[in-house]
Amino acid sequence: MKPEIDQILTFSAMKIMGEFAPAMATQYGQGMAQVVAGLMMMAAQEYDRAADIRVAENRDMRALFRELAPGLSDAGLRGELEAAAATHDTSLRISALNDSNQALRRLLIRLHAQMDDGGADTSRIWVVLKAMATRRTLALPG
Amino acid sequence: MSDDLTARLETYLANILSVPDLEVAGLARIPGGASRETYRFRARHMRDGRQIDRGLILRRDPPASLIETERTTEFRAYRAFHALGLPVPEPIALELSTDILDRPFFIMEEIENCQVGSILSPDPYGAHREKIGQQFFASLGRIARADVDAIGLGDLEGERDPAKCWRHELDRWQKVIEEDEREPQPIAHAALRWLRRNPPPPAPKISVVHGDYRTGNFLYDEKGDMRAILDWEMAHLGNPLEDLGWALDPLWSHGDPSRPAGTIARAHAIAIWEKESGLKLDTAALAWWEIFASLKGLAIWISAAREYADARNADPVNAFSGWYCLAFHNKVLADRLGAA
Repeated sequence: MKPEIDQILTFSAMKIMGEFAPAMATQYGQGMAQVVAGLMMMAAQEYDRAADIRVAENRDMRALFRELAPGLSDAGLRGELEAAAATHDTSLRISALNDSNQALRRLLIRLHAQMDDGGADTSRIWVVLKAMATRRTLALPG
Repeated sequence: MSDDLTARLETYLANILSVPDLEVAGLARIPGGASRETYRFRARHMRDGRQIDRGLILRRDPPASLIETERTTEFRAYRAFHALGLPVPEPIALELSTDILDRPFFIMEEIENCQVGSILSPDPYGAHREKIGQQFFASLGRIARADVDAIGLGDLEGERDPAKCWRHELDRWQKVIEEDEREPQPIAHAALRWLRRNPPPPAPKISVVHGDYRTGNFLYDEKGDMRAILDWEMAHLGNPLEDLGWALDPLWSHGDPSRPAGTIARAHAIAIWEKESGLKLDTAALAWWEIFASLKGLAIWISAAREYADARNADPVNAFSGWYCLAFHNKVLADRLGAA
């Protein structure tokens, strides 16, 4: 679509910040309008990358489960991790990717806790967590 | 602003201040965080033939707030530290009844002709950076130095055993995370486990912890004088390093963590804090409290996200906190703990 959604959000936010907010009667209204415009700028960043972030996170978590599951003594968790590692994202809708992402994150928390409790090396998990956190970081609207 | 709210406020103030001719004017809501509704107004009346015209601030509980906070605690903290001579507005009245303005509220002096540093600004203090930084960390040291019993706050919520206060605070914020986590947060859970596996040494003393001492929660004037420390709603008893760790957190550093709060160099800030608090800093203990600060941030942002997503409080500040700040602290913790 031309114009793209991120462009519409950015230009609309600029309109709010440059014209509408200063014209508002109260300091509270002006402040809130500025925050709303900032959120629209953040949404513009997210528009292009949201599906990519979730696909990459899900791919990384499945790969991690495939790598670490064989070393677990807890057969129950091992089986759940192996089953999750064999799943695939069949839709690129954000709602569908969020559902699978949250299921994988719940398993990741259990895996990490079990390895922490057992004193195992969790450096591979931290590589994935750092990548997840880095991808989700937002630039401040400026 | 509704005339009804103005009239009710006028009746209330005239009564409690025993000034029958008191008039409320210019009542207007101003930005003031998502945990209380904040209004500015003028209170006018005649005394000895001349008009008294005073700016006041009304802080009213919202229908739902970013975090559940105690307005009585906030009011008492304002009173104690105003009396101690710190730059804190004079509290005027606390009303817990819902009969007056529908929700509990308190009223305090307005500190006029000041501004707040925005966390969105790359350099909020400009030429006053050095002067503000010195006052910011000196005041934090003075809060740490205060004797909690002597200033009448010895019964605040918190833990008075120096060896246990870290656990008290960690339990508190873990509960918030577990109750408000709308989507699984693996970094928050990993940080909770790390903090429990690596407990800090006992607190050097038990102090009043402001709870949210940072850029955005103090006012300064055009000369670079720090005029008011605000938002004492999370005040509690505990380890003074909790406040120091929070004040040093990268989220408030305006992009340069080597200059906390966007002000002075970190080593200088800590030296000022040590001098004013009378405490010698244990760097290993501070390292724990800095991890805790980012975890506490995550808990607050998770709670904000929950409020917004559940449509209990659609204040856009909640959306910003639950999105930008959550992502920021996840990155800080992943970088720090992933390297540990």
